[in-house]
Amino acid sequence: MKRTALLILFILTTAGLRGQQEITIRIREGMPMIPVALPDIQYTAASLKDDSARDEIQKTLLADLDFSRIFKPLPRDYYRYLPPFNPQAINFKDWASVQANVLIAGELEISAPDRLVLSVKVYEVNGERFIFSRTFGGKKEFGRLIAHRVADEMMKHFSEKPIFTSKIVYVSGSENEQEIFMMDYDGARPTRLTFNTFIDMLPSWSRNNEKILFTSYRRLNPDLYLFDIYSGQSDIISAKGVNYAADWSPVEDKTVYTSSKEGNAEIYLRDMQSGAEKRLTFNPAIDTSPCWSPNGREIAFTSQRNGTPQIYIMDAEGSNVRRITFEGTYHDSSAWSPDGSRLAFVSRIDTRFDIYVYNLKRNEMSKLTENAGRNENPSWSPDGRHLAFTSNRGGRYQIYLIDYDGQNVKAITSGGENRMPKWQKSVK
Amino acid sequence: MKKLVILCVALMLVLLFASCGKKEAKVEPQTAVEKVEEPTPQVAKPVLSEEELFQQKSLEQLNKQGILAKINFDYDSYSIRDDMKPILEKNADWLTRFKTSMILIEGHCDERGTIEYNMALGEKRAEATRNYVAALGVTPERIKIVSYGKNKPLVKGVDDASFFQNRRAEFVIIKK
Repeated sequence: MKRTALLILFILTTAGLRGQQEITIRIREGMPMIPVALPDIQYTAASLKDDSARDEIQKTLLADLDFSRIFKPLPRDYYRYLPPFNPQAINFKDWASVQANVLIAGELEISAPDRLVLSVKVYEVNGERFIFSRTFGGKKEFGRLIAHRVADEMMKHFSEKPIFTSKIVYVSGSENEQEIFMMDYDGARPTRLTFNTFIDMLPSWSRNNEKILFTSYRRLNPDLYLFDIYSGQSDIISAKGVNYAADWSPVEDKTVYTSSKEGNAEIYLRDMQSGAEKRLTFNPAIDTSPCWSPNGREIAFTSQRNGTPQIYIMDAEGSNVRRITFEGTYHDSSAWSPDGSRLAFVSRIDTRFDIYVYNLKRNEMSKLTENAGRNENPSWSPDGRHLAFTSNRGGRYQIYLIDYDGQNVKAITSGGENRMPKWQKSVK
Repeated sequence: MKKLVILCVALMLVLLFASCGKKEAKVEPQTAVEKVEEPTPQVAKPVLSEEELFQQKSLEQLNKQGILAKINFDYDSYSIRDDMKPILEKNADWLTRFKTSMILIEGHCDERGTIEYNMALGEKRAEATRNYVAALGVTPERIKIVSYGKNKPLVKGVDDASFFQNRRAEFVIIKK
């Protein structure tokens, strides 16, 4: 597999950034994507035929590959003129002729009307080489999940982090009707997790992705709750003051969150096993929105200690505080990229709220969203190639996905208001 | 002649009887109508004192009435504006008068700002309001605070006037 890294430099002037030096250099890191052919999934001889089930799997798999920025599904027009595909006798020359590098041959067996088994064999076309095969089975309702599993296997076999079975937890509704939901990364299969008439907000994932931390007013005070998705049990873990913006360490069972239990909004570190807490910030200003570095050694947070909310980083023990943002008067909601190299956060420039990405190695800030409504709450995909965020660009708040370089913006929710997405940090 | 005498006697008898009968049915003559009445006591319509009203009304009624007015804040700020101080003084007077009452001060923000920072900012607004009222002599133990961040805007508009209305601290009476 040949993959040369290219750097494309874009120099663009952003109207927003304060002061006179209005030039931001945006660096796009790109690599050529791998052209993939996915001929129609064939039924096995013994299979029942269910084209809607087959099409759902096929479309989902294609959409995943298209989203990946690793693979580029070839337009189906390219292979319309090839002889009918026979997974038992593949003519690799045909597929080489349409520039496919990788071929995914899928066979579907529907043994009972609600039971699917999908076998995929993946080949490298030019070398006529078999790469891997996997077989996934399940109820028909899990067709999308089967497709996501295949796409995740593709990622793993090309040394990338799987992301397609990851979920996003978020808040649906507004004012008193805010409830916690979760959905697939692509916005499909939304599931409601909380049912009450109080505000539930700012959800985030536990390290094993089985629990959700969130803030609820169910006791008429913004308290932090730990909710087990699969047992339904929820425990209150705060006592007084505002308690919110929890982030679970990616490496151990420790959580950082904002609390004013001692009178002022400060950042606390909580051991999730023992419940022991340690205060990390000590000043009369607002300290909020903590987020772990991927190695668990540092914490980025927002502090208003110098007058306006700015982004800072401290060591996980609370020491060695250094300021990251200097331009602009309002930054918040940092999210650390999974490779540790970048921080995404929300900045207000003039009256606009956009998402910026700060490269910690190069000390450069680049603008990710372009002045379309208010853009808030960035959250990275497990592989760091995408972000979920909230925007009201289309009127009401909805959740959008965007690639790390500002490409491929799309809404994944519709109807009502949907906000505060938190993408799982990892996929098993 | 004799006949005439008999007739006369008969006539007299008839007259006599007739007059006797009339005498039996005679009713006492009516006197003047007596007026029946008594003077209306001059009772004043009751005017309840504020204290009595306070006792009488439910918490919901008191809050609906807006006895304790809300105050507004500047953008990004949690310091008490000079023009809001008289409102707080009035609220403090009321709280000093009704010493058993307890209140909740809710801090709110407008929609421009992040959810997280606004949670802290809303609390700072509620806290600044409590401190101001406490400095005017109200025991701080009677005042609870809560932040709603930008969760509960008062008005929906997206103009400066609406944003101003939404940046507020509200007083809710929670105990009489």
